[in-house]
Amino acid sequence: MNASNETAASGPADTPTVPIHLRPARPADVPALVPLLMRLKRLNEEFDPLLKVRDDAERQADEVLRAQLSDPKAVILAAEGVGADKDKVVGFVRALVRERPFYTPEWEGVIVDIYLLPLYRRRGVGEYLLRETSAALKAKGAGVVTAEFPAQNEIASRFYAKRGFRPIQLLHARSL
Amino acid sequence: MAESSPAPVVEGRPARRTPRARRSAAAASEGKTAALGRRAVALSRFYSGKIETVPKVPVRSLRDFALWYTPGVAEVSRAIQSDPERSFDLTGRWNTIAIVTDGSRVLGLGDIGPRAALPVMEGKALLFKWLGGVDAVPLPIHAATPEAFVATVEAIAPAFGGINLEDIASPKCFGILEELQRRLPIPVWHDDQLGTAASTIAGVLNALELTHRSVREIRTVLLGAGAANLVTARLLLALGHDPHRLSVVDQRGVLDAERDDVDELMVRNPWKYRIALQTDGGGRTGDFAHAVAGADVLLAASTPDPTTIRPEHVRSMAPSPIVFALANPVPEIWPAVATAAGAAIVATGRSDFPNQVNNSLIFPSVFRGVLDARARSIPDEIVLAAARELALHAHDQGLSTTHLLPTMEEVAVFPHVAAAVGEAAVRLGIARRPLSREEYYARARQLMDRSGRLVRALARARLTPPMPSAKALPERNEG
Repeated sequence: MNASNETAASGPADTPTVPIHLRPARPADVPALVPLLMRLKRLNEEFDPLLKVRDDAERQADEVLRAQLSDPKAVILAAEGVGADKDKVVGFVRALVRERPFYTPEWEGVIVDIYLLPLYRRRGVGEYLLRETSAALKAKGAGVVTAEFPAQNEIASRFYAKRGFRPIQLLHARSL
Repeated sequence: MAESSPAPVVEGRPARRTPRARRSAAAASEGKTAALGRRAVALSRFYSGKIETVPKVPVRSLRDFALWYTPGVAEVSRAIQSDPERSFDLTGRWNTIAIVTDGSRVLGLGDIGPRAALPVMEGKALLFKWLGGVDAVPLPIHAATPEAFVATVEAIAPAFGGINLEDIASPKCFGILEELQRRLPIPVWHDDQLGTAASTIAGVLNALELTHRSVREIRTVLLGAGAANLVTARLLLALGHDPHRLSVVDQRGVLDAERDDVDELMVRNPWKYRIALQTDGGGRTGDFAHAVAGADVLLAASTPDPTTIRPEHVRSMAPSPIVFALANPVPEIWPAVATAAGAAIVATGRSDFPNQVNNSLIFPSVFRGVLDARARSIPDEIVLAAARELALHAHDQGLSTTHLLPTMEEVAVFPHVAAAVGEAAVRLGIARRPLSREEYYARARQLMDRSGRLVRALARARLTPPMPSAKALPERNEG
């Protein structure tokens, strides 16, 4: 993890002042991260029945987060509030570096989860999270950053399109 | 005001009689509604519809059609072709609106579809003409999606000076209204959002005056998060209400920014999501009982069940609480029960109780005003101008806890509200035809009076048959 991720988000002129403090997540954050991750998965459930959340998803979230916190191929950042929300985790990012055996760039940083509590949205925080996550993924060797989200999530689609992302692969599904 | 309120009584009787009083009032109301329904079906068959088109020019012989129709009319068309704005001068467009619905939420009937919505839209057109002097065309349309609905209304807009959306389900009504307001160069209004909210706001303004409160200081709870209450919340915020003292409550409790379903709302109902973020629960979380404790004002537009609001809810409010129970046909709490529990002011949606919050007090005048101004749109400032004028009129007629708003009999209020709307349109720079307030008033008064004269003249001439008595018009074969 790049040391710059430790700095509060109030940087030079081109960085909008955002009301959060972004830092790498720690095992002690897991109880606060699980409910946020669950909110994101429940939102995803809204978009497609094949994204129905499992009954044991909370336990899974706990286990996955704990395992990935010590995985050098994972980037998990916690966003803390400031002021009255100081020390409260108000959002997080989970991203994984995956190998692409047949394409270049050969390492891809995939943003699998990005979630902010509603009162922290539309204030430049998402953009800041994306930028910092991209930097962290690049530091781990990724030559391309991708984002996974439900096909029907137009809000996410617009968010990434505005920031230069385009669809490169589609994931089509049907029940068996 | 738990300490100071007397033991609950209903119309002077002990509280234990309340359930019976409640039941008999409900039963009487149901019986009356059923009788009115049977009579309405019989009369609808007798008259076969409620409105028709009537010429507004002399026709002495067929020769006059060389002017009203071809060849003369071609020059009129050319004039409009070279200046589209002239369609407001040279045709009836200036005074014609469409009442458009998809029939997805008609009265208390639910999604009954466009055909079954037609009698309701005809009734609304009659009200528009009778109260506002507005030529309204009932136009229920079949549209499979909100996008198709919007495209259809956009396609018919060239014939109209305004669009009245009616009886469209929430939340799609919000998106449809926003999109049509964005696309069309004429006022687009959704009565279930704006009309109801404007008359509610008028009542609230006067209730606050009567109880010596300011909108900037009050704590308000809105029970129900449908079309009317979400707009009422928006208008209260526009009037300076502190968002952190405004709690919107729905079936799942207080709507706050971290409620479990808030992300689902972002996708399914962004208007409710927006209010959740703006108010963040008004400083409360949890259920209705928790939200209403200590509130000054309770505005309910929720479930037609008189036990929705309990006497203990009213007793838990701040001293001299204001309670609006606006569900129809049955309010969320019977007015006598609310008063017995300490409510200082009670309003409902019904005409058989004092203080009826009624969108019919608003929409005829608002359209009269925007049509006379030939307004390009209908922003919230116009809605608030109408609400303020309505409140002011009740004030001038003598404000009291049982006279919070003008009644439908106080027809003098209508041209005043129209004039206030016209004046607001000029102030906002959206009037195609700016006039003085006095001119708008005179014009509104003249056009509104003319409707009455027209209806009476048609009756005198027996062109409208007299209303047959119930005996002369048997009801039993109808339905």
